[in-house]
Formats: sequence, structure tokens, C-alpha cells
Amino acid sequence: MGIITILWEKWREFIRDFSRITLAAMTAPLMYLIVFGWGIRTTMNGQPYLYFLIPGVVSLTTMNGSFNAIAQNLNVQRLYEKAFDQVIISPTPLWQFIAGQIIAGGLRGLYAAGIILLLVLPIGTGLVFNGLSVLILFLNGAVFSAMGIVVSFLAKNHADVPRFSNYFIMPMSYLCNTFFSTDNIPHGVREVIAALPLSQTSRMIRSISAGEATNLIGIPILLAYLTVLTAIGLYFVYKKKNL
Amino acid sequence: MIEIRNLTKTFENFTAVDSLNLRIETGEFFGLLGPNGAGKTTTIGMLSTLLLPSSGEILIDGEPLTRKRKDIKRKVSVITQEYSMRQDMDMDEIMEYQGRLYFMPVKQIRARTEELFAFAGLKEHRRKTIRKLSGGMKRKLMVCRALLTDPQILLLDEPTAGMDAISRRQMWNLLRQLNEQGLTILLTTHYIEEAQSLCGRVALMNSGKLEEVDTPARLIERLGAYAVDEMHPDGIHSFYFHERVQAIDYLSGLQGQCTLRDTTLEDVFVEQVGKHLS
Repeated sequence: MGIITILWEKWREFIRDFSRITLAAMTAPLMYLIVFGWGIRTTMNGQPYLYFLIPGVVSLTTMNGSFNAIAQNLNVQRLYEKAFDQVIISPTPLWQFIAGQIIAGGLRGLYAAGIILLLVLPIGTGLVFNGLSVLILFLNGAVFSAMGIVVSFLAKNHADVPRFSNYFIMPMSYLCNTFFSTDNIPHGVREVIAALPLSQTSRMIRSISAGEATNLIGIPILLAYLTVLTAIGLYFVYKKKNL
Repeated sequence: MIEIRNLTKTFENFTAVDSLNLRIETGEFFGLLGPNGAGKTTTIGMLSTLLLPSSGEILIDGEPLTRKRKDIKRKVSVITQEYSMRQDMDMDEIMEYQGRLYFMPVKQIRARTEELFAFAGLKEHRRKTIRKLSGGMKRKLMVCRALLTDPQILLLDEPTAGMDAISRRQMWNLLRQLNEQGLTILLTTHYIEEAQSLCGRVALMNSGKLEEVDTPARLIERLGAYAVDEMHPDGIHSFYFHERVQAIDYLSGLQGQCTLRDTTLEDVFVEQVGKHLS
């Protein structure tokens, strides 16, 4: 019931800011596709680079869409509007608030990814996006929504969320199997980057889209991230003395 | 009934509330007074679970209050000092969100919202987003939101701050009516006349500690029911007397501008706080 309330709140927000959310979701990924896909025409393993790029851009779009939908919004609600106070005061179980935020964030990520897929549809790449892709992309969005919750609770001011984005989200956008394979990264660093959630998502989405056999080890890895980040979020809402 | 036992809240090295013990009976209208930094808002913060106590406990109808106790939280509504609302929502959305957070059916939320908006005179503004409302309208909306869920206990942290005199009087009348209907109210305010007019009992807090708890009448009586104000170049000096005759005697011996009046709760407050400042 509490989850439905949070989803309702997020739905109202989505309807209200539909055009802004949609434009924001498309701009950066579209630039990546134009610049790296069509502008700099290269090939990778004999295939147009765009075919490699699209799954990566779709994955990073879910990451950005989900993280931004939750982190900045919750930060503003907690520190500036104080609207989060009403949630704490209310009888809605706080785990349901967290779960609602994660689901809503995951759906926002999927929406952003859906826009990109619609935009590249006319190219006719033949890339495959199926139910498993949707599940993985949703899971990726859920992980970054949970990360958004944690970051917003750690934030001490308005600038902390963009700062985190600059230091963590933006590097992940470029390094995590999105624009190039993590196989090209030197040993040692490669393993660390490969273990990041976006690397796992991009890898799985890419192999599904190419119609190859997919190693689904990434799913338990994403679930592990989701579990840890959710647990931290729950710790904050139930145990943090000064919210 | 609200029972506060040895409640303490520290922020790093600063103790905002220090071993507070208080019992507020069901149906009581109780005022928490004190200067800035006395610990009133921190106390409300702990009563609403926004802050967790460093030690001590709060019992609502004999049950310990925690963030997990939705049955207890269901009984309490809070009007916080700040406008704790999403700025991009309109009034109807604010009410619906609140109702949903309290598990009310949507039909009931809408019907109750109609009543409350009609009462508060907010109907014509209901489509405005919160950021476009005046401070007074936001306050009224916060009251409507708090009453939407039919609470048993209402916590008000300076509810009339920023309201004009007429709106404030309307609010007082409303709070009186609600209290007469059995609602337990805990109020913090900077308007001492507000507490005197509304509260059955008041507590004076200073530096996180409880100094006095009594009815406004008894607190005034203790200080002296009659006050003589003497004008001096450095300001007004007030003197208090238990008997009117004593006050008149004192007044007759004075030269310059001076007045005799009834002592107010504000005098008690000023004397109490002044004692600590001097």
C-alpha cells in the first residue's frame, strides 16, 4: 500500500514534468550516438561501431535516468522542501517508502532507455532487445535508484549529489563497458571496473542484443548491489538519529 | 496520553534537550514555551520521530513511540515549523499524498479535503502549486493536511508564525474547537498570548531543561497578578504584586510615566528567561 503511494507520487511528478524528463533523458544519449556512432564512423570487430555502442548507451541511460530521478529529488525533499519529514512522521512503513523509490527509479530508467530504443529503431540495426533485456535494465535502474537514495541521505547540501555524479556516475558512464570493452583496460583495473553494476549490465545487454549466449552472472551481482544499497537506505531511515 | 521520560537529545557536544520529563493527558491543550534554543522544536522533532532520542523514551497511550510503530504514528499529526511540502505539487495533490500516506481511501480523502478547504477558505486556490502560495495560505494548508487524517494527537510547532492577525484568530478558534472535541494538542509558540489564551497548562523550557509546568493562571499568580510598569530612559521596568492594593500603593509613590495592569504569561516568560540572562 505504501509502495503504491510512492509510485503515485512519482507518477504525478512524471506527468507534471513529462516534457522536461523526456528531453533530459534523450539529450546526452542522443549526442553519444550522433558523435560516436554517426559522426566518427568506425567499426569494431568488422561491425559498425554503432552496433556496439547502442547497448552501452541504453544501459548507461537507465543508470542516469534512475539515479537522477531519485537522488536529486530526494535530496531536495529532505534538505530544502522538508517534504520528506511528512513521510517519516506518517504511518507508512519506511521500507515501503524505500521500495517505492527503487521501483519508481527503475521504471524511470526503463522509460529513458525506451526512448533511446525508439530513436534508434529507424536505423534497423537488427539488435535484439527482449524480456530479459528489460529485466536487466530494470534491475540496473533499481541498483542506481538505491544508490541515489543512499547518496541523498549522505548529502549535506544541494551540491553533494551533482558532486557524487561527477566523481562516480560520470566515470562509470564512460568506463563501464559502454563505449569500449573492459577487455581493453589493463589487468588489475579491469577486474574492478568489470565488477561495477553498469559493466555487468552493458555486457549482458550487449550479448543479448547480438543474439549471443549470455552469461547471466551479472544478475546475481546486480542483486547483491541492490541488497547492500537497500540495506544502507533502510539503516538510514530507521536508525539515523537526525534525518 | 503522551508521557516523556528522561528524554535527552545531544548533537555532538551540545545538549538540546536535557532529561525532560512530562506527562500530557488525553484531551489536554498543552503549551511548550521557551526562548530560541530552549529545545522546543527538538522535543517536537522527537515526538514526531524526525529525531531519535539520545536517551529516554516517549510513550503514547502507554506504548513506546518508534519509527516502526505505525499504529502509534497513525494517532499523531504534526504541523512542523517549516513548510514541509513538495513545492511542485498543488493543494489537492498535497492532501491526497498525505491521505495516502495514512492509508485513507481516495474517496474519503477527497470528501474530507472539500470540507477542510471550504472551512479554511482555500477552495479557489486549490490548483495553485505550493511555491505560488503566500505564507499564510501555506500555513492553512498545513493545518488542513494535519486534520485530514483525524488524529488523536496534534503537535504544532509555531503554527501561526507568518500569519496575519485575523488568520491567527481563526486558527485559535479552530484549535479551541478541536480541543473541545477531544483532540490532544501540544503547541510550541513564540506568541505567549497565544499560549495564555489557548493552553490549559504550559511548560517553560530553557537551555533544554524544563523549568516550570503549571496552568497559565497559577504561573501568573506565583509571579503576582498585578504589574506596575515604570518608564525609565533605558526602558520599561516591571514590578509585580500579589494584591492590587500593594500595586496601587507602590504606584502612588512613583513619579513620571507608569501604569498598572494585569500580569500576563508573557511577564512570567520574560521574568523566567531574564533570570537566566542576567
